[in-house]
This record gives sequence, structure tokens and C-alpha cells, in this order.
Amino acid sequence: MARFLIPFVAVVLFFLETEFSLYSPIKWHGHLYYLVPRFLIIYLIFLSIYYDRKRAMWYGLVFGVLYDIFYIDIIGLYTFLYPFICFIAGYTVKYIHQHLAISTILSLVLVALLEIVLHQFFLLISFTSVPFTEFLNQRLIPTMIANCIYLIMLGWTFKYLIEARLLKNTSRLTL
Amino acid sequence: MPQFFSNKRLILLLVGVIFLVALISFSLRDRQNASLPEQIIKDTVGFVQSIVAKPASYITGFVNNVDDLLNTYDENKRLKSRLEEFGTLQAKVNELKVENDKLKDLVGKKDDLRNFNPIQANVIARNPDQWEEKLILNEGSMSGVKVNMAVLTSKGLIGKIVQTTPYTSQVELLSTNNSNYRVSAVVANKKSEAFGLVEGFEPKRGELILKRIDSSLPVKKGDKVTTSGLGGIFPKGVLIGEITKVSTDDYGLTKLAYVKPAADFSMLDHVVIANRQSITIDGSDGNNTNKAITGTGAQK
Repeated sequence: MARFLIPFVAVVLFFLETEFSLYSPIKWHGHLYYLVPRFLIIYLIFLSIYYDRKRAMWYGLVFGVLYDIFYIDIIGLYTFLYPFICFIAGYTVKYIHQHLAISTILSLVLVALLEIVLHQFFLLISFTSVPFTEFLNQRLIPTMIANCIYLIMLGWTFKYLIEARLLKNTSRLTL
Repeated sequence: MPQFFSNKRLILLLVGVIFLVALISFSLRDRQNASLPEQIIKDTVGFVQSIVAKPASYITGFVNNVDDLLNTYDENKRLKSRLEEFGTLQAKVNELKVENDKLKDLVGKKDDLRNFNPIQANVIARNPDQWEEKLILNEGSMSGVKVNMAVLTSKGLIGKIVQTTPYTSQVELLSTNNSNYRVSAVVANKKSEAFGLVEGFEPKRGELILKRIDSSLPVKKGDKVTTSGLGGIFPKGVLIGEITKVSTDDYGLTKLAYVKPAADFSMLDHVVIANRQSITIDGSDGNNTNKAITGTGAQK
């Protein structure tokens, strides 16, 4: 059961992301604010922190390819970024304590990193002409707030889910 | 350097990076057409997505309904005041329509740029990272959707189709940043018609930019902008928006106007793809062929 639960949650989050993005951009006080849902990558970061870095990277690769083909039409962008973010997450966690608060902050920092890299890439290929300050106000900060709320709501669930899976693994090993 | 090359991981990484850069540049070059594996993946993901989208669109509908309910009183008051106006307008429209049909019969004109067969579609996804203004619909080339067709909601034009697979299609919204994105439009007021091109979007104002309007023609704030049907594939007379500001362009040769779009680009749910009845031409823009696509007319 728990064996399939982890990929299943990833698939569900992949599809939920776009449904949430249908509600964006939000108009507030005459300004447009873009909220970018990053549910999947946060989940993958949690996976690589608490579960298995290698497996998280594989998930990242598969979902990155799907993301690229279905939404972006530039194959290789998320295909690279998702596993890369998972790699950094798994690598950093060796040196710091695996407390939930720390992993929350780490995943938020990594999501911000992802957004900034994407912005720079799209600037480079001139898909967008949004300067950095505008990007910061219009996209990055609202996105971070929204994802922060999401993480606070669901972070412990992820941890619980992954730990349940790990417990099952270890119990099988000891048996 | 034997030690360097024995590092298998490093080589793997390097090969990976080269491969990725090649892949990115390869897929950047030709984004209009999806290759067969891409199409299969798109259709599969799209199929699952359309299942997931159902409860989501139900929720959107519910939110909209509640919103409607809250505004009912105000709306009712406003609508009542316009109802009388509407009655006379309706009578006039009917009269004009009959007259128009008669005149058309008289001159033997059958094709009309205004007529289109609507293809109903649901929005199943939006590009989640929102760097490009793209939507994915649940109808594709199997139901007759073709690239460059107009996509509208009940309020007005929202965009055009940029890519199709057998069961999904991708819409680029009018609010895009893409500089190759043009829509042939017409500003009609009581006296004259002025043609122009909707080119570009001003994100700060949240408005479209209508360029290349003949400067001798009167265009003023409040005029309605509709599609002209002269671009080849769009139907005529689809509302785009209303002019909010008129100025001259960079060279002072033509006029430029800011157009507030009539349709809302967020919270999109049901859309209509306009399949024009009269001959459609693929335009000479970009990679297009400038040939008739539908063989319905006499000329080809």
C-alpha cells in the first residue's frame, strides 16, 4: 500500500498544480499577482530529505520530462532542474539537522532558487522581458507566500507519509 | 589525466549537460509541431488531466455561482434599467438582419466572414509556471481544431490555437509576451472603420496594444474593437475589447491604442473554438503557407 502511495501522491500533485494555476493571476489593488504552485517539487524535496535522494531524483527526472512536454514544449528545462533541486536538497541535508522547520525553510529556499533560475532562463531566450524587481514583486513573493501556506498545511503530512514508508521498509529488513 | 577520466560520474554529468543543451535548442527551434512521442505523451497526460479537471471546474463553477448570487441584487437593478433599451434594440437588430439577408440574396453573396461553427471545449490545464500565457483544451485535431483558430468565451476573444495533438490543443492567450503574435482587428464607430493589429500586451496596464491604425481615421476612447476576419482564419466581429487610450506610435506615422480586453483571462473554464465557415487562409505570417486550408469554397 505505502509502496504505491509515494508515487501516487506525486502524480496527484503533478495534476493538481495546474488546476490551482487556473485561479492565477490574482488581481489585487489593481496589480496582477502570479501564484505559481510548486507542490510537486516541494514534495520531491521532502522525499530527498527524508527518504532517498536517488529515488527523488528519478521521480524528478520523470516528472520533469512530463512537465516539459506537456506544458513548456522546451524539453530539458525541468528535466534538468527537478533532479538538480532534489540533488541539492539531498546533499545539503547531510550537513544539517533533519528537523521539520529546517527542511521547510530549505524547500522554500530551493523553490525560490528554481523560480529565479527559470526567470533568468526565460530572460535569456527572450520569452519574457520582465525585469528582476518586477519579477520579485509580481511573482516571487506571492509565489513564496502561497507555497509557504501550502507547506505549513501539508509538510507534516509528507513527513508522516514518508516515515510510514520508511518504517515499513525497516521492519521488512529486520524480519 | 587518468584520474580525471576514471571519474565516471563527472563524465556522466558532462554528457548529460551536453545532451540537455542539445535537447533544449532542438525543442526550441520547432515548438509549433509536436513529434509523435510528444503527441502520445500530451494526449495521455491530457486525458488524465481532463478527469482531474472535472471536479476542479465544478469548484470553479460553484465559486462563480456564489459570486453571482452575492451580486444578484445590484445586477438585477442594473439589468432592469437596461431591459427597455434592449427590447427596442432587439427589434432593430432583427429588422436589420432580415434586411441584410435579403440584400445578400440579392447580390448572391453566400460566404460571410462572420459565420463560424463553434467547437465547444473545456480548459483542462494552464501552464503552471505561467511564464507563457498558455492554456490546454480537451479538444484536438480529431474534432477539427487547427492551428491559428480563434478561441473565445462568451465575453470575447481570448486567444488562438498554437498547437494541436489528436486529443488536446494549446491556446496562446492574447495577454502573451510573444512579439510574433498578431490579431487583425477593426475599430468600428458610427462613422468609419479603422483597421489595426493587436500586437503585444502591456502588463502594467493589463491591456492589449492595438497598433498600425491609420492616423487619418478617428479613433477615440470607448470605441469597441472586434476581429476583422482579414487575418485569414479568424471569424469577423468577435469582440476583443474597448479602447481606453489613444496615442501615436514611436515614429508618429500611425496611431496606437490601448485596448482593455473584454474577456477575463483568469478563471477560464469553458471556451469556444471558432471554426470559420468561409474559406480560411493560413496567412503569410511566420511559417505559414498562405494557402487555403478548408476546401469549402470554390477557389482553392
